[in-house]
Amino acid sequence: MIRSHFKGVLVEGNKTYAEVTRDIALPTETKPSRWWYAAMTLATLALLAGAWALYHTFAYGLGTWGINNTVAWGWDIINFVWWIGIGHAGTAFTIFLLIFRQKWASSINRTAEAMTVFAVICAALFPLLHMGRPWLAFYIIPYPNSRGPLWLNFNSPLFWDVLAISTYLLMSITLWYFGMIPDLATIRDRSKNKFKKTIYGIFAMGWSGSAIQYNRYEALNKILGGLAAPLVISVHSIVALDFAVSVIPGWHTTIFPPYFFVGAIFSGFAMVLTIMIMLRKVLKIKDFVTDKHLEFIARVLQFGSLIIGSSYLMEIFIAWYSGVEYEAFTFLHVRASGKFSPDFWIMVLCNAIMPQFFWFKKFRKSLFWLFIISIMVNIGMWFERFVIIVSSLSQDFLPANWATYKPTLVDIGLYVGTFGLFMAGMLMFIRFIPIIAINEVKGISKLGYKKNKE
Amino acid sequence: MSKRSIIGVFDDESRVVSAIKKLKENKVKINDVYGPFASHDILSLVTKPSRLPHLAFIFGAGAAISTFLFVYYTSVINYPLSYGGKPTFSFPPMVVIIYLITILGTATLSVFAFLGRTATYPGKKAKMPGIGAMDDKFFVVIDQKNAVADVESLMRNNGAIEIRYEEF
Repeated sequence: MIRSHFKGVLVEGNKTYAEVTRDIALPTETKPSRWWYAAMTLATLALLAGAWALYHTFAYGLGTWGINNTVAWGWDIINFVWWIGIGHAGTAFTIFLLIFRQKWASSINRTAEAMTVFAVICAALFPLLHMGRPWLAFYIIPYPNSRGPLWLNFNSPLFWDVLAISTYLLMSITLWYFGMIPDLATIRDRSKNKFKKTIYGIFAMGWSGSAIQYNRYEALNKILGGLAAPLVISVHSIVALDFAVSVIPGWHTTIFPPYFFVGAIFSGFAMVLTIMIMLRKVLKIKDFVTDKHLEFIARVLQFGSLIIGSSYLMEIFIAWYSGVEYEAFTFLHVRASGKFSPDFWIMVLCNAIMPQFFWFKKFRKSLFWLFIISIMVNIGMWFERFVIIVSSLSQDFLPANWATYKPTLVDIGLYVGTFGLFMAGMLMFIRFIPIIAINEVKGISKLGYKKNKE
Repeated sequence: MSKRSIIGVFDDESRVVSAIKKLKENKVKINDVYGPFASHDILSLVTKPSRLPHLAFIFGAGAAISTFLFVYYTSVINYPLSYGGKPTFSFPPMVVIIYLITILGTATLSVFAFLGRTATYPGKKAKMPGIGAMDDKFFVVIDQKNAVADVESLMRNNGAIEIRYEEF
């Protein structure tokens, strides 16, 4: 097992347990500040835009989207893959950093998991709407039916995707909820309002903090964590198989599953960084999410960026080296130069080049640059999906079929709507749930201080 | 059922650990320890390793086998459909489905096993030895019948801030 020898402190201020509870529980016990209402208003407006787009999609059909016969996958699948990628951060944070014994993750994993839950919900909306008749979505569940019984095509990656996404959503919610049961009990015990006490009490499920209970709870968490680790790898690999199993040039490559997986972790960590920088600013949690935490995330991003960058290079190299002219055409004449070259180079700049600035301590320490680069990575990862999906489809084997793609207002509305959903979810989360795992942080809050005393 | 208990209250993890060690040296049986977080030192002293992982393994094996049987039944026996002349029984794509359902099944069943074993359900009332167990206090609960040694002074000497004799 890998052990990390961490020097220094993980929670600043040598806080007592009571102080840790007080500091983290504060946002759930006080009235939200003005910025919270402002952000909620923004989220509501975005949700309204989404509702308008949803109405148009339902009332007039998928014809209101920018997709056409040639480019049959457009913003819907781009946004789906993008949100799923962001949804990988939570589980990656909890599980992989747990496996590597990285205790610093304790302060961030609750927020990252919340992000996962809301991002996966946003992602799941797109394929659901893309079905055209979402009210028949239950057809994709294998159950004995009166249509034969006609079962699903179990050989199809699209069916694996349905399974993977729904399993992932369920697992993320379970991990997130079970992780917060002791903290809900903490809030329950602290609250003086009877109504609040009852609500938190229901969700805390009679948690008493007994060692016997903790023992089983830890065992359960280990099982869930151990299961989520292979799951998180499989989810984005299966999303990649949606593309890789087809015969479209630019999709039909074996590098896709690992490349998509790293891309997902990369974009997820970038989103965690963006959100943590903002939350740190407004919620006064600097003692728990220190500059060091942000620096660690930056290092992960830098490492991810190296893998992503080499994947880009490898794709282009194989396109040339394989001698398949369609592949070479897509990579060299459609993406690197040609109609989609601006998008391609934005992707390379944001994902492969910008995070390399994190080699320098100055950039890792500067909140401004951390924020800017994390946003750039989010944009870059969106463009990556755009380049993969649209460039391959719009110019494939038959030039007679070539077509351009332009998103419509409805496409944009839906995307904005999911932002609203995500933001609203996150805002409700920071309002009602302790955003840092109080019980876990208490276990590490004395680290670094004890040694000094001894 | 409440019993007459001795409850030692502590406010520091290392003190509880040393008190528990002393109590165990004197062969005092500890009923339970309540605290704000899962301290591995306390858990290893007070509890036996949970058997939940063994159960999870059985769940996983069951889920894997039943998923295989289900997919085999649907695609080979019940409604064999030819997709471009490919064989109806093809194991590689089944691996993905078995893999995912094994994870889903194991997780779900383990959660229910945990809830059942700990008798936890939404809205259950918490039975706690005192206020602060989920904040900053540790409570060592000992059955008065098991107090074979001078429990009170053992705990006091190891940093207990309060000793209570009550029904719990």
